[in-house]
Amino acid sequence: MSATEASARSASGAAATGAATGAAATARGAEAPHGAPQLLLDDVRKRFGGVHALRGARLALTRPGVVHGLIGANGSGKSTLLGVLSGQQRPDAGRIVLDGAEIALTSPLAALRHGIAMVSQETALAPDLSIAENVFLGGRLVRRRVRGIDWRASNARAAELLASLGLDEDPATPVGRLRPDRQQMVEIARALSQEARILILDEPTSSLGDDEVQALFAAVRRLRARGVSTIFVSHRLPELLALADELTVLRDGETVAAGPIADFDADRIVEAMVGPAVAERARARSGAATRPAAATAGSTTTTTASVPALRLRGVGAPGLLREVDLDVAAGEVVGLAGVVGAGRSELLEAIFGALPASGTVELHGSALRARDPRAAIAAGVGYLPPDRKHQGLVLQRSVADNLAMVATRDAGRLRAPGGAAERALVGEAIATLRIVAASPAAPVSTLSGGNQQKVALGRWIAARSRVLLLDEPTRGVDVAAKAEIHRLLRAAAADGAALLVSSSETEELLALCDRIVVLARGEVVASLTAEEASEEAVARFAGGHA
Amino acid sequence: MTAALPRRAWAATHRFRPVLLILAALFLLFGVTQEGFLDATNLRNLLTGVSILWVLALGMTFVLISAGVDLSAAAIVALAGVFLARALGAGAPPGVAIVLTVLFGGLVGAGVNGLLIGRLGLSFFVVTLGSMTALTGIVSLWSQTETQFVTARLLREIGMGSILGIATPIWIMAATLLVALWIQHRTYLGRDIYAVGGSRVAARLAGIRTVRTTVVVYGISGLCAGIAALIAVGRIGAASPQVDNAIALQAAAAVLLGGTSLMGGAGGVGGTVFGVLFIGVLQNGLSIAGVQSFWQQVVTGVILVLAVLGDRISAAGGVRPLIAAARARLAATADRPSDTANEGSSA
Repeated sequence: MSATEASARSASGAAATGAATGAAATARGAEAPHGAPQLLLDDVRKRFGGVHALRGARLALTRPGVVHGLIGANGSGKSTLLGVLSGQQRPDAGRIVLDGAEIALTSPLAALRHGIAMVSQETALAPDLSIAENVFLGGRLVRRRVRGIDWRASNARAAELLASLGLDEDPATPVGRLRPDRQQMVEIARALSQEARILILDEPTSSLGDDEVQALFAAVRRLRARGVSTIFVSHRLPELLALADELTVLRDGETVAAGPIADFDADRIVEAMVGPAVAERARARSGAATRPAAATAGSTTTTTASVPALRLRGVGAPGLLREVDLDVAAGEVVGLAGVVGAGRSELLEAIFGALPASGTVELHGSALRARDPRAAIAAGVGYLPPDRKHQGLVLQRSVADNLAMVATRDAGRLRAPGGAAERALVGEAIATLRIVAASPAAPVSTLSGGNQQKVALGRWIAARSRVLLLDEPTRGVDVAAKAEIHRLLRAAAADGAALLVSSSETEELLALCDRIVVLARGEVVASLTAEEASEEAVARFAGGHA
Repeated sequence: MTAALPRRAWAATHRFRPVLLILAALFLLFGVTQEGFLDATNLRNLLTGVSILWVLALGMTFVLISAGVDLSAAAIVALAGVFLARALGAGAPPGVAIVLTVLFGGLVGAGVNGLLIGRLGLSFFVVTLGSMTALTGIVSLWSQTETQFVTARLLREIGMGSILGIATPIWIMAATLLVALWIQHRTYLGRDIYAVGGSRVAARLAGIRTVRTTVVVYGISGLCAGIAALIAVGRIGAASPQVDNAIALQAAAAVLLGGTSLMGGAGGVGGTVFGVLFIGVLQNGLSIAGVQSFWQQVVTGVILVLAVLGDRISAAGGVRPLIAAARARLAATADRPSDTANEGSSA
């Protein structure tokens, strides 16, 4: 099944639910003042120097208790719009109207006073403090005159808030011990404790596994029923189609489409995001590329099946991985599926030597002796970590430096870096990867997310790594950059590299991989061929229902 | 082509432009108002007066680029001085004693600070504060708080002599600067130091030997302290049992004035030179003008903060945006401003 089919199918399913909630909403809407939106941002403009981040953006929550999807490619002005809405940035022009009255959002605190709270991508929690302390952060624990903080009452209040989100945790637990999705719930609970009526969830699902996403959705639906609105930002179309009641699409700082979710399907959203011309090309490309990649890989597998490029035997790490056996042939793309915590990231780290592990890792038939990144790199392994800002790149350094960080080391340490050979290598990488940068000397931090990711990946392509370990290769990049990265990965495989790709988006794996290995609790629970694999099959194994 | 080079050189100064401009202004001011400031003898005194600070600050630059600070640098200078006096006292030929002293400094830096910070992952602040304190005590114990006179002619030449009419400490300053520039621009080690300071995790995952790089960085700081000890002993003809640990902080201030980031990953020795000269010109000019030397400290401290502040204000585009940015960071969305910057460049 191709990706287009998958999204079309989920779109039609979601359209039905969308229509149903739409009908329910009309009933609720009858009590609200007719026609007036709960929140309206109208003609919002914002410039940074010469760059127009927003040039007339509009966003309207039609009623209290609505789930409003917001989508736009990186660079569409989404972050700026959220910044304006949460009081972190002042717009140059435009109106913000809440419950019919015009308001000014001068600071995050002002936004909070108006009941608008932001739950950011990076969780803003103190990991060593308890759930209750985090929920009531900012001196809002229950206090008594003489006794001071009333821990029992505070914990009870926190437990109540958590329960209203469908979460059953001891409020005295340190937040750092919770799973990422539960940490997010704690943040939502904090916003609720501050009487928030409009929650902004900025890519809340980007680090969650499928079942955790479902838990989050359930919580958002509970909030909707209580009249709390949610602005839900996501790159993932199926999520938006499944959850949102209405949708706003941004492109180049402008609102290009908005309306009830029933008016949208996946194709229409993508078209609005990237513009009609680009959408046409992307469709042609993805349709053409999926099948042949699998076909060529299949043929290479048969010829080199005897000595896989990467062979794992009994790879284990206490509490994280159990006896993982896995082969990846040259030219093959193998996907790693599983919920967060299933051991996908840990397995890639273990292969690369970044995580101490037992068992053997063989590359083209010879075992890797030393288990550290240097040895793995020397043996031709490349590793793209999930967090490009902290693990993948040295942000202050130039594009050239980051690209050449691995490849030019072969030249020997005493020869000077920055020579002609390195410049040629960097130039070639920028061209093949189509990296958009002011110059090779520009700091990587000045690039857009998609281009940063291409630099992080380009380092290994420039080093001609024969085995590529990729953890969430398209996390947080826009649709166009995602298509580009997929193209590069297929090209690397067609070139004979062995790819092991971990992704929390099953759809991505289905589009990219010849085979999908499902992990659960650190173990391989299934290995599915392209024909056997589907969203349902992967979800079934990942959830442990074999 | 001919115009491009000065323009590129000017562009390369952007990290330390405030101190560069103030330095030029001070130089002009003292040159015009103070008789004798521009005399060859005075300029020579000015430079030799900051030679110890210069050498320490060059080593310290690499430490700061690697996202650390070496608080123990001045204590190593004193310790290496005592080592030198003891080595000479034990009958070592001066040439051998000099080489051993420099290596001794490097060994203390790499073996104590480098290993504890790099290999064991302890905080640079705790480790160098600890070694500073302990080494200061060792200097007193080892020297029995007595000044150890050094009479070797070679040391006198290093401290007070001159070659081709230029004072030996100035030659040493030039040589250490050239080596530091070479490390910074022309070696993988230099590049590794930036990568390790920028992101230790990313550097390790790119196959850089982060532990070794850290050990080497503190080793370089120690080597520089060893070289500084030669100048110090040579200038007064003795190894002093006194340790002036404030010199290490002054070196760090010079590095910061020169635009190197305390967060690591950015800056360079080019700027450090101007940071040191700023302190030197201020010290020298004020003393000629008959102003109490304590004013030099007041001005240096104020300028240090102002330079960093000015840099931040110009980066943010005004005082209000800076305050807004600081407030936004407190709202735990540290990367939002940079995200919007990204949006700009991709649009």
